[in-house]
Amino acid sequence: MTWQRDATKRGLQQSLSYDRGSDRARKTQARLGIALFGFVLVYAIIAFRLVLYAATADSHVVRRGGSIDAIATARPDILDRNGEILATDLKTPSLFAEPRRIIDPDEATELLAGVLADLDSREVRDRLGSKRGFAWLKRDISPAQQQEVHRLGIPGIGFLAENKRVYPNGNEFSHIIGHVNIDNQGIAGIEKWIDNRGLADLHRAGFGVDREQEPVRLGVDLRVQHALHDELIAARDTFKADAAAGIVLDVRSGEIVAMVSVPDYNPNNPREALEPSRINRLTTGVYEMGSTFKALTIAMALDSGKVTLNSSFDARGSLRYGHFNISDYHAQNRVLTVPEIFTYSSNIGAAKIALSQGVENHKAFLAKVGQLDRLRTELPESAEPIVPRHWGELNTVTIAYGHGLSVAPLQSVMGVAAIVNGGYLIPPTFLKRSPAEARAIAKSVVKPETSAAMRYLMRLNAEKGTATKADVKGFYVGGKTGTAEKVINGHYSKHRLMTDFMAVLPADDPRFLLLIMLDEPQPTAETHGFATSGWNAAPVAAKVITRIAPLLHLEPRFDMPPADRLILASAKEGR
Amino acid sequence: MIMRLVHVVVVAALVVAAIDVYTIKFESTVRAEHLAKLAAEIKRERDTIAALRAEWALLDNPARIEALVHRYLAIKMLDPAQIEHLDSLPERPPVPPAPQPDAIATIIDALEPEFPPGATPGPASAAAGAAR
Repeated sequence: MTWQRDATKRGLQQSLSYDRGSDRARKTQARLGIALFGFVLVYAIIAFRLVLYAATADSHVVRRGGSIDAIATARPDILDRNGEILATDLKTPSLFAEPRRIIDPDEATELLAGVLADLDSREVRDRLGSKRGFAWLKRDISPAQQQEVHRLGIPGIGFLAENKRVYPNGNEFSHIIGHVNIDNQGIAGIEKWIDNRGLADLHRAGFGVDREQEPVRLGVDLRVQHALHDELIAARDTFKADAAAGIVLDVRSGEIVAMVSVPDYNPNNPREALEPSRINRLTTGVYEMGSTFKALTIAMALDSGKVTLNSSFDARGSLRYGHFNISDYHAQNRVLTVPEIFTYSSNIGAAKIALSQGVENHKAFLAKVGQLDRLRTELPESAEPIVPRHWGELNTVTIAYGHGLSVAPLQSVMGVAAIVNGGYLIPPTFLKRSPAEARAIAKSVVKPETSAAMRYLMRLNAEKGTATKADVKGFYVGGKTGTAEKVINGHYSKHRLMTDFMAVLPADDPRFLLLIMLDEPQPTAETHGFATSGWNAAPVAAKVITRIAPLLHLEPRFDMPPADRLILASAKEGR
Repeated sequence: MIMRLVHVVVVAALVVAAIDVYTIKFESTVRAEHLAKLAAEIKRERDTIAALRAEWALLDNPARIEALVHRYLAIKMLDPAQIEHLDSLPERPPVPPAPQPDAIATIIDALEPEFPPGATPGPASAAAGAAR
């Protein structure tokens, strides 16, 4: 071992000394060795640094870019069917403090209170005085306020850019879109649906801070929604109704083109949403829909084949059932044919038609057209229909004309849409959907011939029945009125009514179904003291149709033949 | 001799390589910084676009437009009878032929430039006066 060390020592000495006596060859070799070692070392370091640099360069960039970024998470924009913005994110500054770094909490509080007038100084003083690392002082301040606070130059005070949700259309879409809380989490409507669909998980994992998210496209139309909203507010005023609501449904695709329930609230100020009178009556309320249910009753009878349009039923006098006495509002006191029962809106006739089908068939049919189960849409809020526990003959009698079974109005719209669109029950949606996609999930519930007969009845009703006030010239409207007495203290009240109107347009080849609903409309001078649907809901529907039909690309056609020639004849020839 | 040459070449290559590596590193740093700057700028632009779009949506809101229309314009609701299909419109009437030039007017027009402008209240100067 020692000789080895000696040799190394000698070699080193020789290589470093410039002695004449040293061996030149050995010296050169040793020097080269040192140089080689040095360079290898340098290269190794360079290579190592390169690898390190390549591996860490990204995080370096991210750290620079995102240092002041948001806490409140970004949400996708919500667009209407034409790409108009219904909800979007805005970056707004929020003020925070790091109390540990605050030197003088009292002074800081005083300075801040001078700039931000609506600041609660006691609360701020408490927060600044605490020993926490982070505390919000005020969320969502204006850029001008940010500038002023910045100029105060208080150490330990900073700003974070937060995403704030804004709804440029205010009240109009409140019940569809819902709203978010201060942390930008959806708590109602489509906003909540977006969260449930996985956005919440994304946020919890720390992603989704950027606005690189695909916008959510709804099937609703901003302009149609506005027209409906505007007319319903006017109608609620005119008839001094408690509430007014309306839906426009595309019967081919099941898309909800507009849905309004007033009173509503401003999603930019979600505190209003807590008032119970502002609920969405169309999905979270259940109502006895009144005579519009007769459409379902008659469709059931026609579809069974046992009843035709030429069948007639005795509607004389009044129908006594137990201690119930059922009478007609437009009493004719004679034998009525099926179209007459529909156009005179005869309760007795409808009840007799339903009885002719039997209780079980009636129940099965209503279940088939989706009236007995809870209807679920994208909206998180939904209501269970109130179905009688023991469904006897009396129930069938009353349900035939729309009393004794409470359903969500959207649900009844779905049912009637299936009756008029050729028999396809399509679950309604707020999202965009093509007719082909709707066909794929649709369930056939009545025969096409039954549907054609129902379209004929709806049109006939607008030509010479209870719905004449809704007949907008040029759009071939068909419709059915409905007036339900509200149950007050366990009894039906003659004066507290819920009126509704279902309009199908155009009746020969339906594209849209419109529901107008008024809760406790009052008679006015123009309605000659009446408060039934034909006097309030139907004219409102006419106004709405006049406004929305051009928006829905419906072309007005004049000089159309009456319903029996256009719809019935073509149905007989065509199929 | 050959060995020395090889050494010189190797050392030179080494120096060149070192310089090259340094340059690449420097450049990549510059680019990374540029990238970060651009990314921040894009983000800012996107936020601005989003803010402007939100403002546009606010200004473009049908309720607001309607209120303005009621205030400043006298337009009425569209009546369905006003909508007409293009096919049902009548043919465009034929364009009437251009009127024959008036012989005397042509002569006067030809003479006009001979008079100094403004000397006589001719039709041209009268028109100019009206324009003013």
